[in-house]
Amino acid sequence: MAVPKRKSSRSRTNHRRSAWKAEAPTLVKTIENGKVVYSLPHRAKVVEDSAGTPLFMEYKGRKVADV
Amino acid sequence: MPKPTKGPRLGGGPAHERLLLANLVSALFTHKSIKTTETKAKRMRPLAERMVTFAKRGDLHARRRVLSALGNKEAVHILFTEIAPLLAEREGGYTRITKLGFRKGDNAPMAQIELVLEPVTKTPSAKKATAAAAPKATQTAPPAAAPVATEVVADETSVEEVAVDEVVVDAAPAEVVAEAAVEEVAADDAATEEAAADEAATEEATDAEKAAE
Repeated sequence: MAVPKRKSSRSRTNHRRSAWKAEAPTLVKTIENGKVVYSLPHRAKVVEDSAGTPLFMEYKGRKVADV
Repeated sequence: MPKPTKGPRLGGGPAHERLLLANLVSALFTHKSIKTTETKAKRMRPLAERMVTFAKRGDLHARRRVLSALGNKEAVHILFTEIAPLLAEREGGYTRITKLGFRKGDNAPMAQIELVLEPVTKTPSAKKATAAAAPKATQTAPPAAAPVATEVVADETSVEEVAVDEVVVDAAPAEVVAEAAVEEVAADDAATEEAAADEAATEEATDAEKAAE
């Protein structure tokens, strides 16, 4: 079995870990019924009724798929 | 001609990919709309559109070529008898892919691929229309995309305008009243009742001015 020859130093470990970053997604800001909504661009949205039950997926005013 | 796909085959080998795509396309023709991953939807699109082109030709040779690619008699029959007449007027772009979201479990991006079976809307003068229709389509698309949002925005702006107008209307007489009140105070110090009324008026005027600001 292959085994590391040297112990990886604290500095090496920390540099490796600090390079791994989260990245904020680009979102689209829209106003629906007076509320500001952020959503992913070019992606179908779930349409809900007044009680908050999901009904279907919608994109550009067209029903696309069931939830 | 579709651009050759980069990267490894779907499934594990060329034969596996062929079968997998053939099954997906057969399912698309039998169900008209299927939900799959974005990658598979994008890979099956050229094959599906090619099959539709064969179906629009409609002769026995075309039927045998589609059958050799799909290997599903039911799907081929539906394609040639039901789908091809509906797409006869359409010049390409027979399928539509809509991105849906991420699958629970492996977080794979999912998409809905469907046949565009709506009747073609004719645009005036074929060659100029294609050039002119592109900007028109982009202009008409955003309002259709978010009609609710635009309406709400319009409502809010109108409400704000109305509010501003009311404040302005209120403030203008209030200032006049305040000036008059100051003159009266200077004139009649003795009249306590009037002075009290004036103070109330001045307070109202200052409030109105603050609101206007």
